[in-house]
Amino acid sequence: MVQRVGAVWLAVIALYGVSGLISPGMLQLSQAINILQISAFLGIVATGQTLALLVGGIDLSVAGVVTMSNIVSTSVMAGLPQNLWIGVFMSLSLAGMVGVINGVLVTMFRISPLVATLGMNSILFGSALVYTQGAPHGAISPGFDLLGRGHISGLPLSTISWLIIAIAMIWVTRQTVFGRYLYAIGANSTAAYLNGIPIRFTKICAYALSSILAAFCGLLLTSYIGSPSLGIGEQFLLTSVAAAVVGGTSLNGGLGSISGTVGGTIFVTELNSFTNIVRVSSGTQFILQGAVIALSVLLYRSVSTVRHNHSFP
Amino acid sequence: MEKDRITNHYSRRQAIKMSAAAIGFGAFARALPVLAGDVIGNAKIISSGEMVPGSKYKKDGPVRIGFSNGFSGNTWRTECLYSVKMEASRHPEIADFIVVDGQGDIAKQVNDIENLVSQNVDAILCIPNSGSAVAPALRDATRQGIITIPFNLPVDGEAWTAYNGTDPQNKGFQLGKWLRGAIGKAGKIVALGGLPGNSYTAAAWAGAQKAMEGSQIEILAFRDAYWEEDRAKVVMADLIAAYPQVDGVWCDGSQDAAGAMKALLDAKRPLVPVTGDDYNGLLKLYDQHAAAEPKFQIGLLSEPTWESVIALRTALKLLKGEDVPKRQVIQPQLITSQNYKNYVRPELPDGVFIDTDLTSEELKKLFKS
Repeated sequence: MVQRVGAVWLAVIALYGVSGLISPGMLQLSQAINILQISAFLGIVATGQTLALLVGGIDLSVAGVVTMSNIVSTSVMAGLPQNLWIGVFMSLSLAGMVGVINGVLVTMFRISPLVATLGMNSILFGSALVYTQGAPHGAISPGFDLLGRGHISGLPLSTISWLIIAIAMIWVTRQTVFGRYLYAIGANSTAAYLNGIPIRFTKICAYALSSILAAFCGLLLTSYIGSPSLGIGEQFLLTSVAAAVVGGTSLNGGLGSISGTVGGTIFVTELNSFTNIVRVSSGTQFILQGAVIALSVLLYRSVSTVRHNHSFP
Repeated sequence: MEKDRITNHYSRRQAIKMSAAAIGFGAFARALPVLAGDVIGNAKIISSGEMVPGSKYKKDGPVRIGFSNGFSGNTWRTECLYSVKMEASRHPEIADFIVVDGQGDIAKQVNDIENLVSQNVDAILCIPNSGSAVAPALRDATRQGIITIPFNLPVDGEAWTAYNGTDPQNKGFQLGKWLRGAIGKAGKIVALGGLPGNSYTAAAWAGAQKAMEGSQIEILAFRDAYWEEDRAKVVMADLIAAYPQVDGVWCDGSQDAAGAMKALLDAKRPLVPVTGDDYNGLLKLYDQHAAAEPKFQIGLLSEPTWESVIALRTALKLLKGEDVPKRQVIQPQLITSQNYKNYVRPELPDGVFIDTDLTSEELKKLFKS
């Protein structure tokens, strides 16, 4: 596991070195901080996505949840200072409900996670369209932009938020009984059931956490931009899965880690930044991104000595 | 043909200074704000010489009209749809006005058009997701005697009845020329476009590059920014890190422009001349920062949201037996640092597009503000 996690960090450092050689701008401290700031958005969604992947599921509703959070928070805040916390609370609690519904659909109605969450994504986007009638309105409360744009000792507040969340989730997955359950269910749900692990409850919690974290990302992005936009969440639909997989999380469940996802997120963001900076056409940019992600997964598989059997961390 | 005439006309002009650029711009665009009163009636629309005879489409009695919208979900499309619905409600001869949404899917839109044909509509209005993909479906409908009016984005070939929209290539050219003038003799620019591979940005950027030819302006990068502020801000933050000197930003949409300027603000870099369209968010941003940012200038050409109304009126004229032009090229509104105060709407959300036939009350109702 350690080597599996280590591989992604090697990839992060190698890509940083190579991109710095090609475009020296990448090596500036300001750009490193910029990458960390941008990583926070994807990183928080991917942290939640990792929890869903660990239990053998997937959460494709994160895109819709990010958009919902953006639309709900700006609409509730309406530019008024007194509405700030109501906006935050409503976004997070609605997301929690969405996550619970996802979990119930997957566990009680036995709908495939891919279908259930993709359907939920579509419902959320449709609801945002119906609610706004395609004309989103509202604005953030004064001072809320600090979350997405502020710094503490030179480090972006969004990055600090992400790292706190990541550390908390690392602790939850590694040190708590709930964390052990996540891995056990993903590795072999029948064995987990026979061992008396509350499968439904754990899975529902995993989906709820995934949704709440996606909503938090929506709040950060809203703070970063300050206004509503119906297309804001779309970018996270598959990149959140990519960041987790690049970080060593298995799509089959039971294998992976939050710390790996942190590395995977930085890798994916770094790659996007690098392809933004190098002078290549848009098409080449997509090819580069896809090829490097595929290559990195292949590489660390060969570096990793861990067999692809299911195991506890 | 018409496009060539306009382009050649303005390529003869030399517009290096900002003010001169604005004059050249103004001749192409509608120079004065006409957003009060009859927006469409006051607009400048250049028609092609070729006419479509209305006699073969004349129909007495109630008519059925279909609108195949490529996708919905941005505020431009919302205003566009609202305008055409309002217009449809003003024509008692329209028995049915059927709107179908392609949800951004090329195959779904083709299917939508086929469904409209099977519902026996008399005319199909269409904003294509892809100018090539919908061409066969529109051709089949046209052959069956249905009026087909693509608008906003051109459709390949000529197997449709009539088209209206702005000229993206010429708009891109004019925006490029303005930026060249605003920057001065030499400088470095970055460019931000819309969704990857979309034909509007491709045409506009081709025009912009033509405008930069022979100048000492270096194009550092062209990047897709999805016409989303957050995506544009992220891309611009990367470009700022890579290039210490950026003297101007070319954008075909002002969501990109607003995101780019916000990235410059966060990086504590001076704001620079930027191009775009009539997105209220950028106008509000300009209003807020212009005084403190001496180099910040805007050169914007609108994309009228009432193109849908022209499309509907064209279809109705044909159904009355009147002749209509094969192509109608709408001249955009020109918005610059000099006249932006006539356009900016501080009381309305950022997402509003200003070049609309909707009244203040209708916009407030639509945007619940």
